[in-house]
Amino acid sequence: MECRPTRRGFQEVAEAVSEHGERARTLCYQQRVLPEIEVLLRVASSLTGQPADAEDLVQDTLLRAWRSFDTFDGEHPRAWLLTILRNAHINGHRRQRPGLLHDPDLSSRVNSEDRPDEAASAEDAALRDSFDEAITAALAKLPEQFRHVVLLIDVDDLSYAETASLLGIPEGTVMSRLHRARKRIRLDLAAAGLAPRRRI
Amino acid sequence: MNDDLPLRRKMWGNAEIASCREVGRALQAYLDGHTDPATTSRIARHLERCRRCGMEADAYTAIKRALGSRDTGADATAVARLRAFGRRLADEPPPTATQA
Repeated sequence: MECRPTRRGFQEVAEAVSEHGERARTLCYQQRVLPEIEVLLRVASSLTGQPADAEDLVQDTLLRAWRSFDTFDGEHPRAWLLTILRNAHINGHRRQRPGLLHDPDLSSRVNSEDRPDEAASAEDAALRDSFDEAITAALAKLPEQFRHVVLLIDVDDLSYAETASLLGIPEGTVMSRLHRARKRIRLDLAAAGLAPRRRI
Repeated sequence: MNDDLPLRRKMWGNAEIASCREVGRALQAYLDGHTDPATTSRIARHLERCRRCGMEADAYTAIKRALGSRDTGADATAVARLRAFGRRLADEPPPTATQA
């Protein structure tokens, strides 16, 4: 059985095959929801800043998605799931983490994999490490609403529209926050001598 | 051909090439691929010739690249656990509640 979106959504699929409706629902959930888990976890990590909280949030999202799967219109599962994740985050998780402004765990999201380019000199590697450290420090200094946008778009690779929908703000606000956040990062890097200043 | 401008001199725009002011406004959208084809091409021509804006673009590109290579926070073990959780959920009888 194939899981295809229809105008009326998967409810129609389930009804059409009433004998196997339950099975259709299960298959559609598996085919449309489960592939989005990695993206959901990345986004949850950006929102919560804590791996354990992120996993809890995604688990809550999966449960809510399963319970309300009949309301899914069959299209854009990621957008639908991100909305559920956002609601779950607002309802249950935000109050558990009052602030991330100086989150020591932020440094755990720095690229810690040790995969030096064989051709790169030790000096290049040190420079790259300084750059990454400076980026981490600059991110930690950003107000939470700016940092979320940068993490969601530049790290998690969400689109402007997905980010806007997730955060419940207009796309123009996403762009404005993103650009201002990057500008702050650039200025911090420039102050550390790691990026060109605009006006020399 | 050496079209590099001195750092202190601003470039004026025309139909073929964006001005420094335009680049200042649209640079990040350009780097994100959110500018229309005509604007993209005018900005690209500007960046080839204007040293100051070129340095600005290089800085943002380096920042974007560094951010893009960061740990995404989605470790494989957690993803596997959540997939197993999702599969178990889907194997259960359909719920009666429909609250998201």
